[in-house]
Amino acid sequence: MHNSKNMYPYYLVLPALLIYFIFFAFPALIGFYYSFTDWRLDRYTIQFIGWANFERIFSDKILLLAIQNTLIFAVVTVIGKNVLGLLLALGLNMKLKTRNLLRAIYFSPSILSILVISIVFTPILRTEGMLNGLFEWLGFESLTQAWLTNPSIVIWTISAVAIWSGAGFQMTIYLAGLQGISKEYYEAAKIDGASSWRSFWNITLPLLLPALNINLMLTLIGGLKVFSEVYVLTGGGPGNASQVVGTIILRAFGEGNWGLGTAVNTLLFVCVAIIAVPLIIFMRRKEVAE
Amino acid sequence: MSLRAKSLIFRIIVEILLILLSLLIIVPLLLMLLGSFMNSVEVMQFRIQLPEKWLFSNYLTVFEKGGLGRAFLNGIVITAISCIVNIVTSSAAAFILARRESKLSSFLYLFFFMGLIAPMSTITTIRVVQWMGFYGSITSVVFIYAALNTAFSIFLYTGFVKSLPRALDEAAFIEGANIFQVYFRIVTPLLLPVNATVAIMVFMGVWNDITIPLYFLPDSSNWTMPLSVYNFYGMYSREWNLIFADLVLTSLPVIILYVFAQRFIVSGMTAGAMKG
Repeated sequence: MHNSKNMYPYYLVLPALLIYFIFFAFPALIGFYYSFTDWRLDRYTIQFIGWANFERIFSDKILLLAIQNTLIFAVVTVIGKNVLGLLLALGLNMKLKTRNLLRAIYFSPSILSILVISIVFTPILRTEGMLNGLFEWLGFESLTQAWLTNPSIVIWTISAVAIWSGAGFQMTIYLAGLQGISKEYYEAAKIDGASSWRSFWNITLPLLLPALNINLMLTLIGGLKVFSEVYVLTGGGPGNASQVVGTIILRAFGEGNWGLGTAVNTLLFVCVAIIAVPLIIFMRRKEVAE
Repeated sequence: MSLRAKSLIFRIIVEILLILLSLLIIVPLLLMLLGSFMNSVEVMQFRIQLPEKWLFSNYLTVFEKGGLGRAFLNGIVITAISCIVNIVTSSAAAFILARRESKLSSFLYLFFFMGLIAPMSTITTIRVVQWMGFYGSITSVVFIYAALNTAFSIFLYTGFVKSLPRALDEAAFIEGANIFQVYFRIVTPLLLPVNATVAIMVFMGVWNDITIPLYFLPDSSNWTMPLSVYNFYGMYSREWNLIFADLVLTSLPVIILYVFAQRFIVSGMTAGAMKG
């Protein structure tokens, strides 16, 4: 008698669908088309030029460097944020006196704008800045570096700042995962004489798998989309040493190379999809299996 | 040594290590906070020390020099309206998608879900906004933020609506209520904690963002706080006391929000994450 067809009308989906379609999905879809055109600021007619934009991306040294930097940034931050986040969560899941305070401190960078964090780190990371000053004071002169102006390390420096600001977010998700694990498992393992290393390996890690999956996905996708950290800390410099895909798109936009910029965006889309879709399918299957 | 004593010592060592490590987070933030009260010479030492004299006037100066009043209002307007638009549209859509069990509803859910993954196509979005004739306006930015947050919000709401028993709305339907009555009188009150979470997440994301204003607001009088601060940073790059004061001012709203609504932030993030 009450079938769900008439009771839950689809027109209530429409406002969200329209906004999402017009301002997000449709531009992404036409992006595929524009990637194959010579769309430029100074052209009135747009012509289809096949794979020319993509050929240019893969022959242009700066564009290739930007792709390489994006991959380095993504991999380094995925590892850094997750290893640190997990270690912090394990530590702060213990009965420590200061644990609530420490959790709040470690999480605090996550609520700040990347712009704020990047500007604060500028005087710290300058060649004559606080960090090098600290190393000199401690007597480790050999560790001092031109953190933001040495082309071969600048992308690593930016990754480190991103890890600093993001590890607390991952920690919070791992903590929620840890709190969901029943203590009984550990008690049973103890009775069976398992060492704490073994119970970490056989109880904690497997039950933390959902949190691990979601964290891997969030950090990986976020890492590939990196923009603000690079934009504020170095603007892609010195020279073009720290360009990433996000800053290249802004540059192409500014130069009026819209077709090329859109092609770079499309490439990013495809890369993210190739990585994320199998991960999601894997996670869903896992959920069904449980 | 007994096992108990051993684990106590281990705990103490971990605690000391974590406290020491937390200095790494505290020091840069303290550098900003203390520096914002110093004079322009003192701040250039970039040391963690109390200011000789606490210059609260720095805050007044940046507010006037940086045109922050305008930027603050823009930020409030853009953030508040995109939050409201996002909450109303996403919760309604998620309510239907969670209750319907058809191919179309799962397709639509997946379509929205793609938005969690796909990067935004900025240049073509500008094109679309230009076609519609309101490029550069605050209105366009509101819609873009609402669109960018739709995926995450629908994801959160759908998970939550699915946990509400269907019998609740069916009972109301039998008594003759229509869909709007069910949605507003029965579902919305139950969604309040999720609304709070979504509002806070969208607020923090929009308030802190610089990417969208950079592409979509060529006129600086429409900028929100962070981009104005970036501009200020470029102009007053030698007066770090003012820059720091500016950064603190920009962060203040999210810090206040965090202090009062911490519960919703953490629960929302983790609920969304764990259901994934």
